[in-house]
Amino acid sequence: MTTTVLAAPTESRLQSEAVTLAYGDATVARDLSVRIPDGRVTSIIGPNGCGKSTLLRALVRLLRPRGGTVYLDGQAIHRLGTKEVARRLGLLSQQSPLPEAITVEDLVRRGRFPHQSFLQPPSDRDHEAVERALALAGVEDLRDRPVDELSGGQRQRAWIAMTLAQETPILLLDEPTTFLDVAHQQEVFDLVRRLNREEGRTVVLVLHEVNDAARVSDHIVAMRDGAIVAEGVPEDVVNPEQLLTIFGVPCDVMCDPATAARTCIPRGCLLQPHITSARAGGVLRTSDLSSGYGDRRVVQGVNVDIAPGRITAIVGANACGKSTLLKTLARLLPITQGEALLDGRSVLEGRHRELACRLAMLGQGAVAPAGVTVEELVAAGRYPYQRWWRQWSPEDEAAVTRSLEATGLGALRHRQVETLSGGQRQRVWIAMTLAQDTPVMLLDEPTTFLDIAHQVEVLDLIADLNRREGRTIVMVLHDLAQAARYADEIVAMKDGEVIASGPPAEVITVDLVRTVFGIDCRVTPDPLTQRPVVLPALD
Amino acid sequence: MAASIDAAAPRPPRLRTLRLGAVSLRIDLRVLLLIAVAAAGTFALACWAMTLGSFPIAVVDVVRSVLGQGSDEYDFVVRTLRLPRVLSAVLAGALLALSGAVFQGLVRNALVSPDIIGINAGASLFAVFWILTLRSSALLPVAAFVGAVLAAVLVYVLTWKGGVSGNRLILVGIGVNAMCAAATTFLIVRFPIDDVSRAVLWTTGSVYASSWGDVALLGAGLAVLLPAGAVLMWAMRVLQLGDQTARSLGQAVERTRLTLMLVGCGLSAVAISIVGPIGFVAFMLPHVARMVAGPMSGGVFVFTAMLGGAYLLAADVVAQHALPVSLPVGVVTSALGAPYFLFLLWRTNARL
Repeated sequence: MTTTVLAAPTESRLQSEAVTLAYGDATVARDLSVRIPDGRVTSIIGPNGCGKSTLLRALVRLLRPRGGTVYLDGQAIHRLGTKEVARRLGLLSQQSPLPEAITVEDLVRRGRFPHQSFLQPPSDRDHEAVERALALAGVEDLRDRPVDELSGGQRQRAWIAMTLAQETPILLLDEPTTFLDVAHQQEVFDLVRRLNREEGRTVVLVLHEVNDAARVSDHIVAMRDGAIVAEGVPEDVVNPEQLLTIFGVPCDVMCDPATAARTCIPRGCLLQPHITSARAGGVLRTSDLSSGYGDRRVVQGVNVDIAPGRITAIVGANACGKSTLLKTLARLLPITQGEALLDGRSVLEGRHRELACRLAMLGQGAVAPAGVTVEELVAAGRYPYQRWWRQWSPEDEAAVTRSLEATGLGALRHRQVETLSGGQRQRVWIAMTLAQDTPVMLLDEPTTFLDIAHQVEVLDLIADLNRREGRTIVMVLHDLAQAARYADEIVAMKDGEVIASGPPAEVITVDLVRTVFGIDCRVTPDPLTQRPVVLPALD
Repeated sequence: MAASIDAAAPRPPRLRTLRLGAVSLRIDLRVLLLIAVAAAGTFALACWAMTLGSFPIAVVDVVRSVLGQGSDEYDFVVRTLRLPRVLSAVLAGALLALSGAVFQGLVRNALVSPDIIGINAGASLFAVFWILTLRSSALLPVAAFVGAVLAAVLVYVLTWKGGVSGNRLILVGIGVNAMCAAATTFLIVRFPIDDVSRAVLWTTGSVYASSWGDVALLGAGLAVLLPAGAVLMWAMRVLQLGDQTARSLGQAVERTRLTLMLVGCGLSAVAISIVGPIGFVAFMLPHVARMVAGPMSGGVFVFTAMLGGAYLLAADVVAQHALPVSLPVGVVTSALGAPYFLFLLWRTNARL
């Protein structure tokens, strides 16, 4: 059976025909037919677990479809050799393995593998390709640095450079901007644009951020539940009706008149005004606070007054010390100088348990042990109130039930945490923190890894808790737009210092965004809430 | 990833709270039932095991002798020869399985046990040295105990870097294990073959010729460490959520971990010092317990002890009676345990 006769329009070298994808017995996606337009930037978007990364894996032959075929230049891709495919398709996976102590140049050189044969010394072409890749990705200066010493943005560029050295006409990047702050994201997207505009390469991106997709791509493929629900130019996909279909969240879409770039603002719940007064206690302030890891000082002389009963968001670029500040407040890191006071007493005073009854902290990337159910995990939040001989009290039962209800997890009570979706899992962790029943809650990046629907879900929940129960909430957010929308107070940090704090409307300005993140943007008020909206300017 | 079938159908646990004044304990009725079943099973197996041998005795007579109402001719065989051996197997199996449960929970890694991180090897080294240089069995348990504790201390000290991380503990443990094993091999190669054969026999682990003194020591160890471990499971449940989460929940993480390590070492040291380093019980049984009864808790901990006892007893029956020659029980546990280890690796691999 020959497949070459199949009509392969010149404008799409890579396409899938009625592809069905499965891991083991679980079908992830059914009947996907996509044509990747040549010389364009295509983004695949969709909620967590919709099958977008799986589709990408199938497109590069890492996963063999259960049904249907992927065609590369009109040939069934699984009939081509591995190296043959690697000469035409370059893939950057989502979680590249932790690099060993190799230099950037070594890493990039490995991208030449598909062009080399066994025991063949690197040719001049290989050298040229490596040089070009280093230059394109802007990592020439870093070539002799070990990869594991680079910052997140630099590391990501080094990996992209490796993919570039493969010199493939088609590049596929799976979530190339996760873990990166706005400035580094901008860097990566600028590079993608440059590769496309100047080199004419076809780029396929998998993105969970709609706004990034809208800004960077010419063509968007939107997926939900393993099926393609929308496809077309950004204007066709990024509009309120389509976004509701894709993510199940009502969104507003703002159009930047200057660049015609579209920005989607998930509407979420309308924030209620504060009517409940703050709970007794929960006054958190620091004076001249410094802390860090070992000898490295990360937070330097920070003075903040956290408004009791309000939501405070700490924003800043990667590695600016925002998570470190939060950990110091929660007594997870030693204080090297100054003090952090909760209700007038230093957080270092007294026993850990006693502090845990007054202040709860949800860290990043917590993983539930295998087999633990939702209820068990939430019940762990009661630990500071318990002893081994006093394992369970009616108050514990009441607090667990209350926080399961508040987070809408009642129906999932006996499910195992590992079987839940990302958004649900994050809600379970918040429920655990909630069950701790403290006047102050510290949340470190509660929305990372979540798609917009889940982000809205989590932030709405936090806002609702704040409004109903008067808890003081301090959260670290990397997304300025979310911070502006949900926080009553913003604390902006740079290089371990607080450089501005106050209500979003006062703090978030073009100048501040430039100082803190190093990017240019426009700031306009959201017509609905009057809170500032940040529209990053591209190029 | 799709939910597996059993996970998709949630079954509510039958949790009951037992209240006695200021004391309130959370108890899962299902686990309680499992413990009862395992205890009954172990008892039946023990009775049957005592009927076997070159001098067969009916079950009724065995039970009578155990209860102290038997005839003299059976009493000697049952009470002096067979009962101590059976009890030693059950108690040592329980101790070993519990120590595995503690270590696996402590480092959040299912592939860890005292035989892998060098504690058994430390005990072996000291015991072999003792046998070869002093040629006396007296105080052999003490030497083995000291070896196990020293190995554990060495692992802990070398792992310490402002705190103990699970992965580092495993790597250091494997290093200590290799060192002790090399030293033991060195001793075995250097000494006369007659002495060596005794030492080698000891290192396979056996409950052969157990005395009532052995049973008393094992029983005392279990009586102290089982409740201690069961109580610590309450804190370990939180420790397993990760250091940072545990700390923000108000747990003194390093103290909890040190206590758990002490209990884990104690459990394995007591067992090894008397029956020798019987392999793979510590590694395998906690897995089986978790598969049957769910995530580790105080109740599941007790269940693990029951399973460990039953398993070592069964292995001893096989070692003693299934083949024309009787073998040290360590040979049987390893012969069954090693394939299980490979199966586990294969299964974890298949899931990725």
